Amino acid sequence: MTAPGLSGLRSALRGARAQEIALPFVVLVLVIIGTTLKGTVFFSTANLWNVLVQASVAGTVAVGMTFVIATGGIDLAVGSVLAAAAIIGGHYFHGAGSAWFMAGTVLAAVAFGVVNGLAVAWLRIVPFVATLAMLAAARGVAQQISHQTPVALYDLEALTRIGSQRVLGVPIPAIVFLVVVALGWVVLNRTRYGRYVIAVGGNREAARIAGIRVRSIQFSVYVLVGLCTGIASVLQTGQLASASPVVGLGLELDAIAAVVIGGTSLAGGRCTMIGTLFGVLTFALIFNLLTLENVESQVQQILRGAIILGAVAVQRRGH
Amino acid sequence: MIDPKRAVVCGLALTLALSQIACKKAEDKPKADEAPKKADTPATVPAPAAPAAGGKIKIAFSAPSADHGWTGAISVNAKKQATKYDDVEFSLTQAANAADQVNQLNTMIAQKPDVLVILPHDETVTAAALAAMKAGIPVINVDREFSDPGAQRAVIKGDNYGVGFQAGQYFAKELKCKGNIVEIQGIAGISVTNQRTKGFADAIAPCKGGIKILAQQPADFAPDKGLTVMQNILQANPKIDAVYTHDDDMAQGVVQAIKNANRDKEMWLTGVGGSKAAMDLIKQGGLYRATFLYNPTMAASAVALARLLAKGQGLSDLTEPVIPNLIVMQAQGVFKDNVDGFMQIGF
Repeated sequence: MTAPGLSGLRSALRGARAQEIALPFVVLVLVIIGTTLKGTVFFSTANLWNVLVQASVAGTVAVGMTFVIATGGIDLAVGSVLAAAAIIGGHYFHGAGSAWFMAGTVLAAVAFGVVNGLAVAWLRIVPFVATLAMLAAARGVAQQISHQTPVALYDLEALTRIGSQRVLGVPIPAIVFLVVVALGWVVLNRTRYGRYVIAVGGNREAARIAGIRVRSIQFSVYVLVGLCTGIASVLQTGQLASASPVVGLGLELDAIAAVVIGGTSLAGGRCTMIGTLFGVLTFALIFNLLTLENVESQVQQILRGAIILGAVAVQRRGH
Repeated sequence: MIDPKRAVVCGLALTLALSQIACKKAEDKPKADEAPKKADTPATVPAPAAPAAGGKIKIAFSAPSADHGWTGAISVNAKKQATKYDDVEFSLTQAANAADQVNQLNTMIAQKPDVLVILPHDETVTAAALAAMKAGIPVINVDREFSDPGAQRAVIKGDNYGVGFQAGQYFAKELKCKGNIVEIQGIAGISVTNQRTKGFADAIAPCKGGIKILAQQPADFAPDKGLTVMQNILQANPKIDAVYTHDDDMAQGVVQAIKNANRDKEMWLTGVGGSKAAMDLIKQGGLYRATFLYNPTMAASAVALARLLAKGQGLSDLTEPVIPNLIVMQAQGVFKDNVDGFMQIGF
């Protein structure tokens, strides 16, 4: 590299806020470690697509979660809603075929989002509490409807193809995930709606005075995360070829962790979709690497904790 | 802005409201013909007091909440068995953790059921069970035996070491002591997992390393975790002969990971439990070769035992006029050739 190139890089690095380069750096380090330890087993297209497939469920949810957290809210119910939506789809729309199943599942998840949105925006229940209630209730719905037994969906061929088929060599869940991230980025950064979301999270009173319909915006982000959860639920059931009332346990924490280490502020008003993408990839890569190495799961949990703490610490220094 | 103090108060109020609903639900059963309260139950001997004539036997069941398929089926089985008896008044409570379970048990003890059936979260529930026994309410322990023998009148449990051992013997025989295998465990570090792993290891030990365990990872008894863990393991290992999984429900995800990778001709797998879905796959033939019973029907049997205990009867084909204090279920292997006989207990 030539000298001007180097100095250019250096000044670019100095200019960038620490938080913006921290996570891509972590991802890069993980990729280098993976390639060193496992060579082509890790650094193969098959495995890299595999990492994206693994990231797809929590990642799709995390896109919606980024909007919610940007408004200063939180959604603890996504894991339960993921299971409940799949069970509702599997129980009531199974006979009608794959398309109906998918529509039913997504709509069910959106309906849960509507309830959360109403509770937060119009009943003025604190998001943590409103969605905590839904975390319990939606899991109960899943277990009640399913009688606590999984619903086999092997016969829905179009659905199960999500788990086994590739388009131009790319697994379908990876494509869907990347498309959702791209759409999320556009909506957040290039539309008036995205600016309103951030404005509401930054200063609700100022947003209201500026003429933004704060409640409508608050309501809409819960519907949006419901939509994302519905899509994630379809991706999950497609891969599992069955709907189970016990999937998605702890999913809310995975999604929130990815959003937060990505650089979105839990207080609202500051958010980054690219950060969320890297947050999701970081966790998926750690999980992938440690399983490839057959490292005990305790070590994985310690590392996850360390990374959450480290990433957030770097962000605090960054401003 | 939101006042954090108010948020906490709201949260507490909500939790209280929810637990009220939960308690209500357990009491929903009709109480019109409630048995007259027994005047004095023996203080130390937890022998059954004969139920009042014409009164119903009150059986209270305390279980962990249904966080995976098996615990779900425990509650379903217990309820189903109770509805078979006209003379039983049954209530079921589910607890999310050991502390909740202790609280619920203390409430239940105050209501003086004739028999208390407990599937404890863990050993910390022992004190509550001891208190019940002291209050003259005999306790039947399901599956997770209290180390203090005074905390229970009878234990009915599955054989975790046994399912591992049976599975290990099957692997040794089918692979002729030679091959690469993968073990997908339940929750890391709990005794259920340790026993299932140890039983398996002991059974393949005579192969003297001929069977190589390529990877050993927990997937928390959850199908979605089973899917992702196996996806990674498939990437790391180009040649796998067989997979030993600790749970049928979780194995569902493992099966799909293998199928989605088009490697279902390369390997076979076994489960544990005896779920309906697993038995269907075993019957079809192919990837899913066997499961080893660790069946939640033990909850149904526990309710039956509780009723016999309250009535002061023994098991009908045994000589003794009282129920035994330890029953261990057989870790029966279910294969394609005998699956039909077990279909009806699939959960």
